[in-house]
Amino acid sequence: MKKAIMRLVDLSVNRPRLIVLLTIIITIPFAVQFSKIRIDTDPENMLRDDELVRVFHKEVKKTFNIEEFLVLGIVRDDGIFHKDSLKRIKRITDDLLNIKGVVADDVVSLTVTNNVVAKEGILNVRPPMVKVPETQEDIDRLKKEVLDNPLFKDKLVSSDGKGVVIYVPLENKAIAHEVGGKIKEIYKKEDGPERYYMAGLPIAEDTFGYEMFLQMGLFAPMAGGLLMVVFFIIFRRLSFVIPPMLVAMLSVAWTMGALIGSGFTVHIMSSMIPVFLMPIAICETVHILSDFYEKLPRVNDRKTAILQVFDELAKPLFFAPITTAVGFADLALADIPPVKVFGVFVAIGIVFAWLLSMTFLPAVLMLIKERRPILKKEAGSRALAMIGRFSLGKSMFVVTVGAVLLAISSYGITKLVVNDNPVKWFKKQHPIRIADRELNKLMGGTYISYLVVEGAHEDDIKRADVMNYIERLQRRLEKNPVVGKTTSAADVVKRVNYALHDEDGKYETLPNEKDAIGQYLFLFLMSSAPDELDNFVDYAFKKANIWVQLKSGDNRDMTGVVKYTEDYIKSNPPPDGIKVEWSGLPYLNITWQKLMVTGMLKATIGTWWVVFVLMIFQFRSFWWGVVGMLPLVFSVAFCYGLIGFAGKEYDMPIAVCSTLAIGLGDDFAIHFISRFRERFKAAGDLKSAMEWTMGGEPALAIFRNALVIALGFSPMAIATLTPYVTVGLFFGFLAFFAGIVTLIFLPALIGTFKGALLKKQQEVLR
Amino acid sequence: MMRYLIVLAVMLLPLNAFAFTGDEIMKKSQAVFLYPGKDFKARVMMKLISKAGQERIREMAMLRKNYGEAGGDQRYFIYFFQPADVKDMTFMVYKYPAKDDDRWLFVPAINMVRRIAAQDKSSSFVGSDFTYEDISGRDIEDDAHAIIREEKLGERDCYVITSAPKAGDVDYSHKLSWIDKANFLPLKEEYYAKTGEIHRVFTADEIKDVKGFPTVTKRTMKNLKTGHRTEVGFVKTDYDIGIEDSLFSERYLKQAPRKWIE
Repeated sequence: MKKAIMRLVDLSVNRPRLIVLLTIIITIPFAVQFSKIRIDTDPENMLRDDELVRVFHKEVKKTFNIEEFLVLGIVRDDGIFHKDSLKRIKRITDDLLNIKGVVADDVVSLTVTNNVVAKEGILNVRPPMVKVPETQEDIDRLKKEVLDNPLFKDKLVSSDGKGVVIYVPLENKAIAHEVGGKIKEIYKKEDGPERYYMAGLPIAEDTFGYEMFLQMGLFAPMAGGLLMVVFFIIFRRLSFVIPPMLVAMLSVAWTMGALIGSGFTVHIMSSMIPVFLMPIAICETVHILSDFYEKLPRVNDRKTAILQVFDELAKPLFFAPITTAVGFADLALADIPPVKVFGVFVAIGIVFAWLLSMTFLPAVLMLIKERRPILKKEAGSRALAMIGRFSLGKSMFVVTVGAVLLAISSYGITKLVVNDNPVKWFKKQHPIRIADRELNKLMGGTYISYLVVEGAHEDDIKRADVMNYIERLQRRLEKNPVVGKTTSAADVVKRVNYALHDEDGKYETLPNEKDAIGQYLFLFLMSSAPDELDNFVDYAFKKANIWVQLKSGDNRDMTGVVKYTEDYIKSNPPPDGIKVEWSGLPYLNITWQKLMVTGMLKATIGTWWVVFVLMIFQFRSFWWGVVGMLPLVFSVAFCYGLIGFAGKEYDMPIAVCSTLAIGLGDDFAIHFISRFRERFKAAGDLKSAMEWTMGGEPALAIFRNALVIALGFSPMAIATLTPYVTVGLFFGFLAFFAGIVTLIFLPALIGTFKGALLKKQQEVLR
Repeated sequence: MMRYLIVLAVMLLPLNAFAFTGDEIMKKSQAVFLYPGKDFKARVMMKLISKAGQERIREMAMLRKNYGEAGGDQRYFIYFFQPADVKDMTFMVYKYPAKDDDRWLFVPAINMVRRIAAQDKSSSFVGSDFTYEDISGRDIEDDAHAIIREEKLGERDCYVITSAPKAGDVDYSHKLSWIDKANFLPLKEEYYAKTGEIHRVFTADEIKDVKGFPTVTKRTMKNLKTGHRTEVGFVKTDYDIGIEDSLFSERYLKQAPRKWIE
């Protein structure tokens, strides 16, 4: 193995120009793929296409003709029922209907959605506001009409009369951002005291995709740029800055090119590949460069120095990335398609980075012309040497402190709350978050779940016992604080009954005969548009759909509502032949969250075992394997403990970060242990071997790595999308913890368990 | 804008290119399509089909009687056979071209006849993709009609006529009609939304001669925006059967007379 690697390095230092040229040629086909990039922001794609919940969701959408829609809220603090405001609402709705891509017939608003009323003995099915009322009397009448009607109150008009909502269905959700822009143009023309809010999942997704592009285009290079600056400040040598950046950039370009070229879409997960790959690639090069610049002044010949470096580092430089790559590849076992793609391509990227480090990097080092190689003892090394002496001297103490910290972290981990909400992927002050907050305060909720009631035969839904059960379910659901509003065909039947009896409150009830229910629904249908009831009942009246509006999109809250409903159904079973089942995006989200949490946990644990076995194999020692794993265990425990204590929720990005911990944690440990053991073999003395490792190039390289990563990724904390913020911060802390654990606890651990660790090796030495 | 272009286009044509004006053609077409005979009856099979392919069936007996000239008042009496739970439900419309219709509905479950307020005439006819106007016609005077070309539609020679509403309160911008030169029946109509996109398309799918009146016995209206469509078939069609005025009354709504609705 090592021979093959050395042959590669040999070739690279002897024919550097050829290698650089070859690298450029290979990069071209990868780079060309970038033009084919396809962005995918649909959270549904977190689930497999054939996942049962997703299949049912698609079926429900089809059966009940549910389109993707935007939600426009118009709010006026002193009440929206003023003539000028109503005029604006009318104007805005009229204009909306003429936007290309809007399904005008299915727009839901005060001016186009039918209400059933009775006036002077005449039954009237018409929208509440066909024309803007002129007199105060008429305005008051309009207000009473809509607030009296459960089909409008809290769905189209807020119960305090301050806001109205217009639901704008789209022909497809890919145009959400565009249509949203046109809607904005329309309401921007109006000057009044009203505030406007635009919400709805498609616009959140589409905007997310749009901003994802920005962040990828902005923050990945920004992080890269800052890394270069930090590099330069630390090393004060341009030759130390450019080669690692080139290796990182090339491996990112190759990997993303390969991903796009294989036809995969760039999902939120895969968009983070560059961000994950960069530090891993850089870590490798920093080890090489640190060693190279330590050796160069002594031998004074670049070629010799390079060959010496690779001769010494070939093993850890091979095992560290391979272990990491296997760890990421293990994510392919998770049952979440974007996570699979992510894991596999990060692994591929690590292999690319390794290959470039073995070929392109030495070639570039050969081509760099430097005047004066400097040999100077870095200030950092002295401090690190001191830490090493301290840890080794007081090893029991340090290990005890570590154990206590581990215990505290474990407690913090128990406080982790598993929760996610795609809307929260935007920062608090993002217009989408503001709209979401305001509309949910005002109305019955913008997160729409579907509770599907399914009968065994046609027309089952018209049965009086079934209608009554739907009604009871609704009343029960509305008692849950997260549920803001429910609507169903039962509300329509009651409304028709009420209107048929001249709005006599006595008749705001469900009739007891199936025929009457059928006739009332028919009456409503024949008086309005062909698809007016589609969202509530299927064509055969075999299935009914209860719209459950939630005020919160938190998976935790939806889980609560599901449990609450299950409890009710258990004690109040549905009528014969009737099934009740959840669907809708919030329900889909909790399903993939479950998969994500258990899936990532399983994948992570699996990865740990793989890494553990690999470590035992490469160190040829069980105990060294254990010690090598400990920095990983520690840094992950610290990170998650910190998250637990900080009250931050365990969401998708956090789950993904746990895999990164493996990548960084094991890299530091493998390098440290390999280098230490090499030295110990040569010196045969624990103290001097530790002094060499901690006071020399190995610890310095690890320290530099930790510092570069922690600082370099800090700008991501100001990204506008929270997954990027999370990953950025997590990187910082993780690099910090992994560095500390490796540099402080490893010497102490080795000191404490020297019996088990070093005995065998000493025997070998003898 | 469109309208001016059309006017311009028409002005540029040689004077005697057409024997009829757009107005005349549309008037003739309305008479043969919506006003044939003194009265009319048919068993109507209506299929409402959703975008996803789900179907709802409406089956009804439809009776019509004209009052005055073509383009004038009409009365409609509709009895529902299907869906099963609305059997015996009846619906009656007095249609006036220049003002709102009068409509009544009998609801058997509560044994009650209710007046139903008439919305604008472009609202849906019994929940189908057809509007009341599509069933009983729009006042010729309300639109500016112009012949824009003559062309073959399938085998048939047609006038293609554009009709743009004169008042702005209509929810479409204009309509294109393909009028059969031989019998003046509309073979196809396209309704354009204000965005310029086609919104609804009407097609006459089968034409039969009934008592000397060419009659559209199968027709489809498709909403291209929602993907919803309605197919209508007429059977047992007949004209000039002597429907008496008394049929169109509240009394018969409650107790639909056998002889007309079998």
